[in-house]
Amino acid sequence: MQADPNPMKRKRKPIKSKNPKKKKTTTKPSGAMAAVAEAKRRKPSKRMLKLFKKRAQNYHSDSDDDDEEEVVEEGRRGEATPSDGNDEDGSADSERGGGSEGDDEGDGEGGHRGGITRFDEGCRAFRVAFSKIMKRKLPNDALGPMLSAHKKLVVEKLVEEEAEHKAKGEAKKEKILALEKGHVKLANFLDAKEKSLIKIATKGVVRLFNEVSKAQISQRGLNPSRTKVAKELAKQRKRTFSPELKKSSTQGHGDHLPFNSSKLSNSVEKENDDELGWAPLRDSYMLTSSKLKDWDKMPDPAASVGQDVFPMESSSSDEE
Amino acid sequence: MARFKHNARRNKKWGSAKPPVLKKQPPSVDHVTGSKIPKSFVFARGKLPGPLKQLELDLRKMMLPYTALKLKEKKRNTLKDFLNVAGPMGVTHFLILSNPKSVPHLRVARTPQGPTLTFEIHEYALAADIARSQSRPRCPQDLFKNSPLIVLSGFGAGGQHLKHLELMTIMFQNIFPTIDINTVKLASCQRIVLLNYNSEEKLIDFRHYSVRLQPVGVSRRIRKLVQNHQVPDLRNLQDVSDFVTKAGYGSESEPDEEAATVSLASDLDRVNRASTKSAVRLQEIGPRMSLRLVKIEEGLCSGGVIFTEFG
Repeated sequence: MQADPNPMKRKRKPIKSKNPKKKKTTTKPSGAMAAVAEAKRRKPSKRMLKLFKKRAQNYHSDSDDDDEEEVVEEGRRGEATPSDGNDEDGSADSERGGGSEGDDEGDGEGGHRGGITRFDEGCRAFRVAFSKIMKRKLPNDALGPMLSAHKKLVVEKLVEEEAEHKAKGEAKKEKILALEKGHVKLANFLDAKEKSLIKIATKGVVRLFNEVSKAQISQRGLNPSRTKVAKELAKQRKRTFSPELKKSSTQGHGDHLPFNSSKLSNSVEKENDDELGWAPLRDSYMLTSSKLKDWDKMPDPAASVGQDVFPMESSSSDEE
Repeated sequence: MARFKHNARRNKKWGSAKPPVLKKQPPSVDHVTGSKIPKSFVFARGKLPGPLKQLELDLRKMMLPYTALKLKEKKRNTLKDFLNVAGPMGVTHFLILSNPKSVPHLRVARTPQGPTLTFEIHEYALAADIARSQSRPRCPQDLFKNSPLIVLSGFGAGGQHLKHLELMTIMFQNIFPTIDINTVKLASCQRIVLLNYNSEEKLIDFRHYSVRLQPVGVSRRIRKLVQNHQVPDLRNLQDVSDFVTKAGYGSESEPDEEAATVSLASDLDRVNRASTKSAVRLQEIGPRMSLRLVKIEEGLCSGGVIFTEFG
């Protein structure tokens, strides 16, 4: 690369056409090119060499990470100025020009340290610097790059975050409370109210089981000759249930309404009367019609109770 | 013939062909009573918080066996979807849980155009909470094989026949299948659902119990011996008669059993025999709720409002 100046010239040409603006900054456009070429070929002065050595020794790429880029930026100009100060004006101009021209190049090779390193070495140095920058992880500081009042900002930020956390925590707690609304964790399981409820339920079950046992035992006792048995059963059931109904309605608070079995048995009774063979075939058809008989037998309050219960049935059928 | 053989061979190669298994459908009509068995869907509308989801599962378990235990509902399912499925499957009731404005509500509705009762769940406790608070939670295996019995109490209090109370009783009675006392086996009545109406507070207490029968008149030790089949410790006793006749201390719930004794119609198991007195002991399982009726609508979550609590 050093040996062949032509490629440089070739490189310069198209860029020269691309960026006419930049050229205005340089004082001597056409002359600058030749001067730059000259400058590159010329070895840097001894003073510069010393300076370079010193810098190379002190150079730590990992220190002042935040500042590197800006320093690099500023360095480009800053170093152009000491170099101006160090060298003659002509070379300074050419170097500045060289620096700016170097920047224009696509990769920026040897660009930012135009006055410091030679062009070819500049490539490597830039590559090294660039790769180091890319390797280094930027601190994800929400406050932005290091500013003068950094500490204060940090403190403020921490306070903010804490306040946020507190608010969030409270909001969460409220949310959980709202979710749990109505969900009662049982403190004491068996208190008086629960006991009374269990007693009520137990009474209901006991009644049911008693009814079942009566019905089933009597059923077992009587041997099936269908019509007779069924009639007996029907009568018996009506008899047992009407007092049940009476009892239930005349009892005070906390009584039971006949539950589904009794409701069912009403319908079953009606069905059974039909089931037992076709009604006309029964011996007691029309003569001893059980329904009429029962209406006579049943005392009036029970009848009224029966009336009250039956409308419930009919209303359900109305809805259906 | 050749083809037949070929197929058979092919089946053997690729894995045996199973004979088509007919899945037993739960009966839709009860054979004994002739009335239709009510089936239910329990599902939720809207997003439910954690404990309410548990409550939904508990309710489903309670409604077994005539409900869809593993009903999967998606967010985009609307009520219409459920209605469409309910028709062919013979589902008669919907129990819908929802959480509008963070107040849990339960709607009990009859398909397809039946009335809808909307209850506000004032308080609830999950089955898990109850099991945790008991010293001996009990859940035998067949507990959910049969549908529960329902006991309603306090609905006709004071002789008032308020329409909404009547409607509630009818609705709840219809949700659970009816039983025929002539043919029902006592062994199959293992669960009780209690609905107790408290007319001062207008709250309905909802409890779910499991039934246990204990023979009465037998001393505790002998009963435990027969039930547990564990050989007792006779080290300190001189004679077996000491073991048998020693009066053990009674548990605190013994005196209550006086009112709870039944004489059984048939043998329940080895311990409870027919025509001997047994005591009915209930133990709470399942969710516990206290509900307040908010409104009744004519249609399925639609239609005219027949009754509102708040005027």
